[in-house]
Amino acid sequence: MSVPFIAALQQSAIAPVGPQAGRIAFLFWSFLILLTCVFLLTIGFTLWALSRHHRGIEQEPLERTHRPSAATDARMTRAIGAATVVTVLILFGLLIASVVTGEQLAGLRYASNAMAVEITGNQWWWEIRYLSDNTRRILRTANELHIPVGRPVMIRGTSHDVIHSFWAPNLHGKRDLIPSRITTEWIEADQPGQYRGQCAEFCGLQHAHMALWVIAEPQEKFDAWFEAQLQPAAPPEDAHLQAGEQAFLSSSCVLCHTIRGTDAAGQVAPDLTHLASRLTIAAGTLPNNKGNLGGWIADPQTIKPGNHMATVALKSEDVQPLLDYLESLH
Amino acid sequence: MAFIEGSLFCCLIAMYFYYRLGTFPWPPPGVQLPSRLLPACCMTLLLLSCIGSYLASEAARKGDRKGMIWGMGLNLALAIAAMTCRAIDWRLWNFKWTTGVYGSITWAIVWIHTLDVLGDLVYTAVLALLVLLGNVGPRQRIGVHADSVVWYFLVAIWVPLYVTVYWVPYFWGANG
Amino acid sequence: MRYIVTAFLFLLAGGVEALLMRLQLSFPNNPMLGPDKYNQIFTVHGSNMMFLFAVPVMEGMGVWLVPLMLGTRNVAFPRLNAFGYWMYLIGGLLLYVGLFTNTGPDAGWFAYTPLSGPQFSPGKRVDIWAQMITFTEISAMCVATELAVTILKMRAPGMSLNRIPMYCWAMLVQSAMVLFAMPAVMVASNVFLLTDRTIGTHFSNPAEGGDPLLYQHIFWFFGHPEVYIIFIPALGMVSAIVAAHSRRSIFGYPAMVLSLVATAFIGFGLWVHHMFATGLPQIGEAYFTAASMMIGITSGVQIFCWIATLWTGRVRLNTAMHFVLGFIFIFVMGGLTGIMLAAIPIDLQVHDTYFVVAHFHYVLIGGALFPLFGGFHHWFPKFTGRMINERLGKVSFWVLFLGFNLTFFPMHLLRLKGMPRRVYTYSPEMHWTAANGMATAGALIILIGGILFIVNVISSRRSGPIAGANPWDAGSLEWAADSPPAPYNFAFLPGAVSRYPLWSDPADRVVVTGMRNDRREILVTETVSGEPRFRHVLPGSRIWPLLTALLATAGLVGSIFYFQWYYIGAVLTAIGLIGWFWPKEPVEIEP
Repeated sequence: MSVPFIAALQQSAIAPVGPQAGRIAFLFWSFLILLTCVFLLTIGFTLWALSRHHRGIEQEPLERTHRPSAATDARMTRAIGAATVVTVLILFGLLIASVVTGEQLAGLRYASNAMAVEITGNQWWWEIRYLSDNTRRILRTANELHIPVGRPVMIRGTSHDVIHSFWAPNLHGKRDLIPSRITTEWIEADQPGQYRGQCAEFCGLQHAHMALWVIAEPQEKFDAWFEAQLQPAAPPEDAHLQAGEQAFLSSSCVLCHTIRGTDAAGQVAPDLTHLASRLTIAAGTLPNNKGNLGGWIADPQTIKPGNHMATVALKSEDVQPLLDYLESLH
Repeated sequence: MAFIEGSLFCCLIAMYFYYRLGTFPWPPPGVQLPSRLLPACCMTLLLLSCIGSYLASEAARKGDRKGMIWGMGLNLALAIAAMTCRAIDWRLWNFKWTTGVYGSITWAIVWIHTLDVLGDLVYTAVLALLVLLGNVGPRQRIGVHADSVVWYFLVAIWVPLYVTVYWVPYFWGANG
Repeated sequence: MRYIVTAFLFLLAGGVEALLMRLQLSFPNNPMLGPDKYNQIFTVHGSNMMFLFAVPVMEGMGVWLVPLMLGTRNVAFPRLNAFGYWMYLIGGLLLYVGLFTNTGPDAGWFAYTPLSGPQFSPGKRVDIWAQMITFTEISAMCVATELAVTILKMRAPGMSLNRIPMYCWAMLVQSAMVLFAMPAVMVASNVFLLTDRTIGTHFSNPAEGGDPLLYQHIFWFFGHPEVYIIFIPALGMVSAIVAAHSRRSIFGYPAMVLSLVATAFIGFGLWVHHMFATGLPQIGEAYFTAASMMIGITSGVQIFCWIATLWTGRVRLNTAMHFVLGFIFIFVMGGLTGIMLAAIPIDLQVHDTYFVVAHFHYVLIGGALFPLFGGFHHWFPKFTGRMINERLGKVSFWVLFLGFNLTFFPMHLLRLKGMPRRVYTYSPEMHWTAANGMATAGALIILIGGILFIVNVISSRRSGPIAGANPWDAGSLEWAADSPPAPYNFAFLPGAVSRYPLWSDPADRVVVTGMRNDRREILVTETVSGEPRFRHVLPGSRIWPLLTALLATAGLVGSIFYFQWYYIGAVLTAIGLIGWFWPKEPVEIEP
């Protein structure tokens, strides 16, 4: 199920697809328009002060005292006083708008049908766990977040190492992921689509290559995806794929990665059980296809220098079966 | 000077309470709270040593060389006694600065204050030496006066620090 | 003077780093700089500009200008000044030694824990950063102390507090801010980071009760006032330039002074607006939104007063005024994007994106650098005794102005397309290429503007027309001294009968007579009224400030490697200080 790699007005806060980002975008445009007017007025007055036209009003000589007359001073004082009052009122209005929007954003937490997802930042990938009271239905995946359209999702964020920040601008502002703390954010998508997000707090060498995809789907499609993801990996059918599975299990991959349904249960790297169902690999760095996957496994340090994936030594006859096996993990 | 050090110590006190609010139990298990006897002696001695500073600065105002030496001497003697109490107290602590954040912040507060005190002791000692050697000019007199102001400040700032480090854990119990 | 030249060299270094960054980002997947080098370069760029250029250059201008404006001979503690300078130079060199030996800090100019902590930043990189801060903060605090004392106690007779020039008010307010804010960053860098990294304390280790967020609080408690520390002297310079070139006194002196003080106070209460994305309680955050917006009022009042001054003055549109107008344009835009950032919902989208980069470059370059350049052009005749070439000056202004806007305006748009900060590369599908390309082109234009400015300075210095003492016919006391001023500033210390003494009736102007001219004497005055109290002799040049600085350096640099060096360094510094203050010859003071 490989989906074409789409990038439209991606990762943009002014293309909101949900109520949260929508309210923020509205606030942003309001601020922008109002403050642009303020800016133009200020520059206008400054330039006008320099032009000659207004000099018809004041021609009093300055040389002796270097101060204008008391009447002019009084007039200026009134003007500045008025401008200050207007400034205060504008700022007050903006403050109220900001606080009201903040309240609206927080309002999503009172929804009754919210879904809870825990996102843990790691250097330089995202661990995603769909929470549930039933431990058998806790789904662990990585780097790609599916959410149902029209339903609020509570993101519980934390980090295993340094401070990261979860940011999918089409959906909402960002929330820092801080080790030993839980931060929360509610998001909701109103339209299906694929939305790119990126880590927004400098987290080291590969901060630039820590992206994730948020896929919003209608509830039925989401449920189908979720059920499929909960299943362990199907055992490989033919000898070629079995050879690939063997290559995986006998190499150092298993020290870090998990493929449910096999003995591989490493917890420090992305869960690969349904690797082939994802759009990208290496946290949004490359589109997910056989060529890129091969390049990634062969030499991760060139693609993402400094990341924590070791270069695995594979026998050359194992490479193709391994790749085919991994690409069969839908 | 007062700005700088005051700002620094206010930061440290704020940090102490911030950590206290977020960490249970306080102090962490295995840590014995410092006894309050020796620090109380230390506090008393520090307060008494201000008398020495006061005498020295009054003598400086009058240009009285002997008075300055006696005043500074008294100040030094009591201050050294106070620091000795503190040093003994430290040996009785059963935690280091690596023992959780409680250890870190407690050691930081007390140690930074001690460094300041030691610095001022050196300053006082050098000044006393200069006066002893016969330099009783205006610069030295201003120096003695400034020294006593710094000393008052160091003792005064120690009061809230002392309360924070030695008394707060008792009143603000181990949990919550 | 050394401060200014050194700071300028650091500006050039920072500019080189900026160019490298822009070149790296000019097209996607650029292999020019790898992540490690890029991370070091952007960290050093930020640290260099903030700690090694912006604050020192403002302090340096203050050290040079304030005594002249107050009608006295020198700052209050010249040897302290020298000590501060050496500490600054050494701290800067430390940072660059690190960069050139591939040990440059790479955790960002604010080095958030736990990324900068012992676990995720092994090695000495961040330690070098932390100690560089110690050096520069000590330097800044030395200068702030002496400027404050100079302004309060060493003014021309008759210059009461409500007659001191706006620039001196700005420097006084700035000095007070430095004394309050710098200790916080010392706590953050030294107590938090350095002890965590070297002796195993747990200030930011969550496993033992520490908290990375507390680092942010303490750092930003310093960090936000820091930008006002950079910006407030620039406001003072703008007042000086506007008054001189509108040929009238600044409108609304009490309002301007109160605005400066209010800006300083409010500036200390804003720091959480750097932390809105961390999930702090909403009520607390709302207060910081309100405060962050309130500071727009104080800046607004100042801008209104300047516009009023221009409105009723006779404006002379020379290069200095061009820079002031550029300041108004760029700073107001930056300030308004700041108001946007103050709104938490908007901040949640733009925090840590190129919008913030655009905002702070607008307010820092527009708000501090443009006035600084205006100040250079305005006081150039006083510095050098010659007039700077106006035509080349105006051309360099326009190049800088256009280049600046071309570089940083597209960054606002980049954030609308989702580009976060501190990424060393990006993929072509993100459609960020065009804006990044424009920004790089703009950076090259800024470079040209800078070169023009330097050419102008050098050629005017050599062959510009000779300036008299007061070529602009300005009103404040520095224009009564020779151009360039003698080392003792004034042969006869002037008195001050009004806010703009040189604009008073010549018959009313006074000078002080009766002071000795065979030793360095200055007048100490009452704090508020400016009445003279007694004479004071300033010390001459000595080797002790340099020696003490070197001894302190040994301690601080050593502590990067072994914590015990802190104590050794303290002992060494004490020896240096004792030598410094040991009296040389008997001195008397006459009333």
